[in-house]
Amino acid sequence: MTSLVDEIRGYIVAEFLDGEDTAELTSDFDLINSGVVDSLGVVRIVSHISRTYSIPTDDIPLTPDGFRSIGAISAFVENATKTAA
Amino acid sequence: MGETVPSPRLLDALAAHARGRPDQVALIRGEQQVTYRQLAGVAEDLCGVLNSLGLDRRQPLCVPAHKTPATIALLIGAVRAGYAVLAPSPELGSTARAALAAQARCSRVLTVDDQGVLATAPVVPDEQAARDFDAVDPATAPLLLTTSGSTGTPKIVPIPGDAFDRFADWATGRFRLTQKDTLLSYAPLNFDLSLLDVWTPLWLGAQVVLVEQEFSADARHLQELVTRHKVTFVQGVPMLHRLLTQDGAIHPAVRTVIFTGDALPQALLRQLGTAFPHAGFHNVFGCTETNDSFIYDADPAEAGERIPIGRPLPGVRALLLDDEGQVLHGPGTGELLVSTPFQTSGYLQRSRNEGVFVPAPDGGDEVFYRTGDLVTRDADGLYWLKGRTDFQVKVRGVRTNMQEVENVLAAHPDVAEAAVVAIPDPEAGYRLHAQVTRRPGTSLTSLRLRLHSAERLPRHAIPSSVHVGDAPLPRTSTGKPDRNLIKSARQKENRA
Repeated sequence: MTSLVDEIRGYIVAEFLDGEDTAELTSDFDLINSGVVDSLGVVRIVSHISRTYSIPTDDIPLTPDGFRSIGAISAFVENATKTAA
Repeated sequence: MGETVPSPRLLDALAAHARGRPDQVALIRGEQQVTYRQLAGVAEDLCGVLNSLGLDRRQPLCVPAHKTPATIALLIGAVRAGYAVLAPSPELGSTARAALAAQARCSRVLTVDDQGVLATAPVVPDEQAARDFDAVDPATAPLLLTTSGSTGTPKIVPIPGDAFDRFADWATGRFRLTQKDTLLSYAPLNFDLSLLDVWTPLWLGAQVVLVEQEFSADARHLQELVTRHKVTFVQGVPMLHRLLTQDGAIHPAVRTVIFTGDALPQALLRQLGTAFPHAGFHNVFGCTETNDSFIYDADPAEAGERIPIGRPLPGVRALLLDDEGQVLHGPGTGELLVSTPFQTSGYLQRSRNEGVFVPAPDGGDEVFYRTGDLVTRDADGLYWLKGRTDFQVKVRGVRTNMQEVENVLAAHPDVAEAAVVAIPDPEAGYRLHAQVTRRPGTSLTSLRLRLHSAERLPRHAIPSSVHVGDAPLPRTSTGKPDRNLIKSARQKENRA
C-alpha cells in the first residue's frame, strides 16, 4: 500500500503540482477543495488509473469524493485491483 | 499671456518665481540642484535656440521625457517658443518613437544634455502614418503625453492647458500644497502622475526631487532622498511605498502620501501608518485620459482587507453601466464611465475615440470616457475597483475576475505581492496561474495558499497553478507587475 500511495502521490505532483513545494502534501490533503484537481482533472485521474492499473473505466465512478485525496485514490485503486484479482 | 508647459499660466508663474524667489531650488536630481532662476534661464536659452531654427510651429516637437532638469527646461522652452511637445517614454525603442513622431507630424526629435546643449534629429515625415491623426494645436494642448502602451503602440493623449490649470488648482487645494513643500517625483516624466508631482509644484514655486530611473528599485537610495531633502509629499505605486517603508524606515517630515496605479495591500497600508507618522493617506484613482477622478482618504488603523477608490472628485461625474449598457442607479457593479474637468479632448488618433469617448449615457452635455474598469458602488455611495473589464475570463465556463483572485491571494498575511494571469487552455477555456512573492522570513507554500483561497473563493477561481517564491515579481517600466511576462514564462514552462 505504501508504494501505491507513493506512486499516486508522484503522479499527482507531476500532473497537477509541477514546480510547487509539496512537502506538506499529505495523503489526506483535500485535492478538490483546494483547487488542485478540478472536474477536468478528475477525468484525467480516472483515465490514468484505468490505464496504469488495468481498471475498466466503467467500474470507476466519476464522483469527486473518490478522488478527494491521495489516500482516497489509493484506497480505490487498492480495492478495485483486489476485486479484479 | 505667453504659452506655457503644460499651460500658459504655468509659464507666467515660472517667470514670476524666477524674478521673485530666484534662489529657491526648483529641481533636485542626484547632486544637481537647479534654482528657479537657473531653470528659467536654461529654458529661455533653449527657447531662443528653437526660435532661431525657424521650424514650423504647426508641427510639434518630440522630446523623449528623460527625467532631468535640462529636459524639463527644454519642455518649458519649447512651449514658450510656441510649439506643442510630444513627450514619449525615453525607454521607447527608436522604431516605436519614430512611429509616434510621424503620427503626430513632429518636425524634430530634441534632446538636451546636462550642460543645456541641444541636439536635434530629423523626423521622417510619413503622411500615410499620420493620416488618421488630428493636427496638434499648441495653443490649446501644448503637451502631448502617451499611454503606457503595455498592450501595443502607445496612444497619444493631448493634455489641454486649461485642463491642467484646473487640475493644479484642485490638487493644490486638496493637498494644501505650498511653496514650502518638497515633492518626490517617482513616476517617469512621460506619465500623467508628473502633472501632480512635477508640473503642479513648478507652477506653485515648490521643490521637486526627481528620482532617477536607475535608482527606482533601490530602497536605501529612495529613503535617503526623502530624509535628506525633507520630502513632504510622496506619490507612487505600491512598490514605491514598499521600498520606502522597508527595514523599519520612518519619515516624520512627510505629510501627504498618495498611492495610485495598483491595489495597495492592507498590510502595506498598516506599515505606511508607522513609517509616515505625520501623514495623511490618499488612494487616488485616475488615468492618462481623464487624469485623477476618484479619491479616498485612508486611515491605516481602520484599514479593511480592501481599500475603496472612494468618491468622485469635485466636478467629476461617474456612471456605472451594466452588461446591457444601461446606467445603474444606486448600488451595483458595472463599467465605470467618467467625465472630469481635467480630461483630454480625445486621443490624437481620431478612430481610437469611437466608443471610448462617448456622449453622456444619461443625456447630459459632457463627454464621458469609458475606463474599461469594473467598479462597484456600495450602499453608502463609496466606489470600489473590482478590476478591469478585460480582466474577466471564463474558467470552465464561469466568468472569473482575476483581480479579485489576486486580491484574495494578497490578503494572506505571508504574501508580499501576488499576480494572477489567465493561460488559454483547450479544455478549460482559461486556467488561472498565480505568481506569488512571500514575505521575507515566512515559509508560505502554494498548498497553504490554496487552502486560504479555498476558504474565500469559488472553486473555479482557485488558480490551477500557484508558484510561490522569494524573488519580487517582474515589473513593467511603470512599476506594475509584468503580467505579460509572467504569462509567457508560464506558457513556456507548459510547453517544455
